[in-house]
Amino acid sequence: MIIVSVLLVVLALIGAPLFSVIAASAMLGYHREGIDLAAMAIDILGLAEIPFLSAIPLFTFAGYLLGESGAPQRLVRLTNATIGWIPGGLALVALAACALFTAFTGASGITIIALGAILYPALQHDGYPDDFNLGLVTTSGSLGLLFAPSLPLILYGVIAEVPIDSLFRAGVLPGVLMLLLLGGWSLWVNRSNRTPAHEFSFANLGAALKESAWELPLPVVVLGGIYSGFFAVSEAAAVTAVYVLVVEVFVRKEISFSHLVRIMRESMLLVGAILIILGVSLASTDYMISTQVPQRLFETVARLVSSPTTFLVLLLVFLLILGALLDIFSAIVLVVPLILPIAAQYGIDQIHLGIVFLAAMQLGYLTPPVGLNLFIASYRFDRPILEVCRATLPFLLILLASVIVITFWPELSLWLAG
Amino acid sequence: MARLTWRVLKPLERLGTAVENALLVLLLGAMMVLATAQIVLRLFFDAGIIWADEFLKILVLWIAMVGSVATSRNRRHLRIDLSHFLPERLSRWPLFAVDAFAAVVCGFIAWHTARYLVLASGETVLLGIPAWTVQGILPVAFGLMAYRFALCSLKEFATLFGRDGDEAG
Repeated sequence: MIIVSVLLVVLALIGAPLFSVIAASAMLGYHREGIDLAAMAIDILGLAEIPFLSAIPLFTFAGYLLGESGAPQRLVRLTNATIGWIPGGLALVALAACALFTAFTGASGITIIALGAILYPALQHDGYPDDFNLGLVTTSGSLGLLFAPSLPLILYGVIAEVPIDSLFRAGVLPGVLMLLLLGGWSLWVNRSNRTPAHEFSFANLGAALKESAWELPLPVVVLGGIYSGFFAVSEAAAVTAVYVLVVEVFVRKEISFSHLVRIMRESMLLVGAILIILGVSLASTDYMISTQVPQRLFETVARLVSSPTTFLVLLLVFLLILGALLDIFSAIVLVVPLILPIAAQYGIDQIHLGIVFLAAMQLGYLTPPVGLNLFIASYRFDRPILEVCRATLPFLLILLASVIVITFWPELSLWLAG
Repeated sequence: MARLTWRVLKPLERLGTAVENALLVLLLGAMMVLATAQIVLRLFFDAGIIWADEFLKILVLWIAMVGSVATSRNRRHLRIDLSHFLPERLSRWPLFAVDAFAAVVCGFIAWHTARYLVLASGETVLLGIPAWTVQGILPVAFGLMAYRFALCSLKEFATLFGRDGDEAG
């Protein structure tokens, strides 16, 4: 039995599609317990029972569409007009614009491609050191992860069955903490180059606002709608998708119909990849819970760990290793059902757990061997992967510090969550 | 032989992609229209379509399945990818094995989900529509994925060992 498990792990490590590994382990489990494998169908059909799940395809599509339109340029211009006058402001512009954009496009690497391509040359032009720019842009690709309505937040809410609007509120302060720390560090590093990007002018700001007029209502409608309870998250996703479609295709005419079809397909590839893992994980989770794996895991952990604090330390180490190997979506789907009951035994709030989980996973975008941002940046800016790793390291350490704060200061997450 | 097989398979692949694209656009479009209609009805007419929520959930299932089939076309399924750290030729070796593995797993799931449809015949969804019309996507999708992965595996095999590799590529 152990041999089979080891074999499955090896297959996963040499690149087998994760869903096939998970499905195989579930089927082997069912087989061993003498359960008819037709049960797999019932588990996978469970995809059609999960509430609010339509939010995932709809938000993903809206994000891809925004990324392909002129919205990234407009966002950078608007952010620049708003805070670019601060000394060292262009680095702050980059951080803020990326965070906002990632929140809406779901941290799938689009940010680096859509925004990095604009910001990287701009930073270079303003005389920021090259390593700093590379590190900043690479890090920013997953920065808005904790801000609503990011896909990982929604996925966690769906899997852990916690209210998604509370989760959205919980992410705000931890996300701001990350931004502040990175922003402060950017200002410190560039203390010798404190020329502002430009002088502040109302005319400039007005022009940028006017240019973005069509996109501006989006955050208000989506976030306002969800926070006020006016919209369910799936409804907000539908409104966003339809609105973005109408604006970018019919009003602005930046996306042609054939381009639209390509975007629809592209975005649904990611959705298919996430949801198929969710589907087969319903089977493996079902099996693990029926054989009381979480219970046994807890008993093992309980023998080693008695206090919640020690548990959090252990959890954090585990999550950092997990994040270095698995992408955020697979990690949520696969691991959250297992650690939720254990964390509950230690009295850890489910919402706090979610924020810790996602914040730790955010580091996974930047750590070898599978950090997605590293490879996208390496590819996009044509730099060797090790160089990107080195440039990103200081940012990674700052994020690590903020993750530690987030982990051991639950009130930071729970204060706004209510 | 390989050349002949490929001449049959290639138009089939093109047709397959077209059907996938059409389905994805249709499903996503239907989802947007239906979800928006529900909101409008709720807000302005204090009404709703009874079957809309169930239908939306079925659309999610179908998008998941069709999207997954489309994803298997160009090796875009989520996986742990360590190949950046390996030399080109060495990194190709495991691909042949893992695609074959995925093909076998998908084949198994296709078979057992098909069995389920037979076992559960008589169930209905929405307003009395036989459930298999909706759930039938499972064996079909996993069957197609098994085929896709098997094809990928064979291609890798051919590139590694045979002369036919270029034709199949």
